[in-house]
Amino acid sequence: MTDIVLQLGSGFLNCLTPLNLAMLVIGIVIGLLIGVLPGLTLVMGVALALPFTYKMDVTASIVLLTAMYVSGTYGGAFTAILFRIPGEPIDVPMLWDGYTMGRRGQPAKALGWTLVAAFAGGTLSAIAMVLMTQPLASFALRFSSPEYFAVLVFGLSSVVALGRGALANALISLSIGLLLGTVGTDPIYGAYRLTFGAPLLADGIEFLVVMVGAYGVGEVLSRLETGFAGKPIERIANARTELPTAREIGGRLGVLLRSTVLGNIIGIIPGAGATIASFVSYGVEAQFGKRKHEMGTGVAEGIVAPQAAATASVGGALVPLLALGIPGSGATAVILGAFLLHGIQPGPQVLATSATMVYTVFASVFLGLALMCLIGYFAIRPLVRILDLPEAVVSAYVLVLCFVGALSIRNSITDLWLMIGFGVLGFAFERLRFPIAPLVLGLILGPLAEEAFMNSMISFSNDWTIFFTRPIAATVMAATILVLLLPFYRMWHAERSAGGIGGR
Amino acid sequence: MIRAMVPYLVGLAIAAALFVYTGYLDYTPRPGQLGPATWPRLVIGLMAAACLLEIARVAIGGKAGARGIAAALAESGESESEPARFPALVAGGIALVGLYAVLVPVLGFLLATCLFIAAFMYLGRYRRHGAVWAISVAVTVLVGILFLRIAYVSLPRGIPPFDRITDVFFLIPGR
Repeated sequence: MTDIVLQLGSGFLNCLTPLNLAMLVIGIVIGLLIGVLPGLTLVMGVALALPFTYKMDVTASIVLLTAMYVSGTYGGAFTAILFRIPGEPIDVPMLWDGYTMGRRGQPAKALGWTLVAAFAGGTLSAIAMVLMTQPLASFALRFSSPEYFAVLVFGLSSVVALGRGALANALISLSIGLLLGTVGTDPIYGAYRLTFGAPLLADGIEFLVVMVGAYGVGEVLSRLETGFAGKPIERIANARTELPTAREIGGRLGVLLRSTVLGNIIGIIPGAGATIASFVSYGVEAQFGKRKHEMGTGVAEGIVAPQAAATASVGGALVPLLALGIPGSGATAVILGAFLLHGIQPGPQVLATSATMVYTVFASVFLGLALMCLIGYFAIRPLVRILDLPEAVVSAYVLVLCFVGALSIRNSITDLWLMIGFGVLGFAFERLRFPIAPLVLGLILGPLAEEAFMNSMISFSNDWTIFFTRPIAATVMAATILVLLLPFYRMWHAERSAGGIGGR
Repeated sequence: MIRAMVPYLVGLAIAAALFVYTGYLDYTPRPGQLGPATWPRLVIGLMAAACLLEIARVAIGGKAGARGIAAALAESGESESEPARFPALVAGGIALVGLYAVLVPVLGFLLATCLFIAAFMYLGRYRRHGAVWAISVAVTVLVGILFLRIAYVSLPRGIPPFDRITDVFFLIPGR
């Protein structure tokens, strides 16, 4: 414990170096802007920032991306409460009570509750993150290739089962991502796979090209299809934040703690990020909370629950990323990509080999939360003014960043074409309701899963039952099956409930 | 019904083609080992199974299958009506990014980007001409400074005489 505290203290000092501090502030501001702008999603924003980090020090890169991730869960609440525009899917529950409280003449109070919830939820979750990562990493040192494969399969299955979209569509999206991950030279046999004779594909497909294309270009094309018909913005002359009193906060401590714990746990589960945390936490309050009958009428509980859970999910999602090398969400997949770009493989060894960097990232989460709230409190007016920018202007800028992202890898026009291709694929996915997250995670985790699978097969004489006979692997595989059954259970439960209502 | 099946039929056809293709990988087999086609074929099998299930579901007129938890949760928040769609704008957008990819090796990153931004804003129905060109130039200069002079990212220079623009840009003091 003393060791953790000392390392964290050193992390705080590292965070205060000019470069890291600058990246932290820039990341927080950009994250807040991403949250505010409805056309820019959190994952897309983090992916677009990746090319900036090529020539940067790895710690500064991760600090930048993590800061964006943290503040991206908060910025959207401003526009949801003030204008009924959820900047992110995370902020949809904020419309029900946050916007309603605003309409009742208390927008400043609603924004104050959001700030308290984001800060408290985020900070408590960050403490849990610091305490949990080391033990989980130590436990993961016992893993051999079958256990790793099982954990990777669990991560991929969770993305499918807990994500947005039909299960079959998510499975197809995941398969495409896994297949894209096999393109290039096979690491064991040296065979060219799925290259179709193209020399450029022999090195594989850069995940940055896929990510920037599918998230960036795809999203812009989707917005373009609606003619950039954003809602007209009401003029809010006096957008400000009014903090709740200590007594008011004391009355909501239960909601705050419940939602933080829920958000943290949901964040840890691979595939379930801030959006699920926000919705589930709101749902729990609506079903079991003290003021469940008043939810949706503009009560503080309806603001605290989704916001605390959404920000708390960030600390949770960073735990499996750092301890196991498995990203829990789209944004952490991009952060994993940044690690890999700098030649660092997160996982059990990373705390031994790069402890300074890891603790600097931990410290940056704490500092980032404080900075985020300060900036959110004092700069809310200029932040929401960005909505005055025409969407065509913002989208043109986003596309330019996408082009730079593709060209910066190896200054190759082929990468640009590939990115455009993945952009069109991303648009088609959006149109046909295929989720993109499984594709991206499949592409990143696929090669790791294949390596673990092939090593297991070589080590255990092609005995596939090894994944079900070793205790840890079997437990994780059982959890995988449970997670995959979850959507079916939910469907069965919904049908039964509907039948019950209809039958009455 | 057939329309709903189309994406899955295409997926199934791609899976079948890839399965055959992976049978022709050039490698030296090692006794007792599975070979480089094993993993891709497992994945192709997963994709084919998912496509077949959806085709079967649509064929028997089944109701919507199981969905991810986030999809089910988000549904409660989706009360707004479907927005109007403009497919011609999407086609124009795709054509424009394609044109950019054709022009960038010729005109260089800076000039092609400036023209692209202006064209895209017009496509996006933003018609304040002065603002369009001022923003295009400002964004290009900003991105150029950020990536060429600060981050030192290598970007296409274009062919003569357009490469002169990049040369002029490099007169700006960098990091």
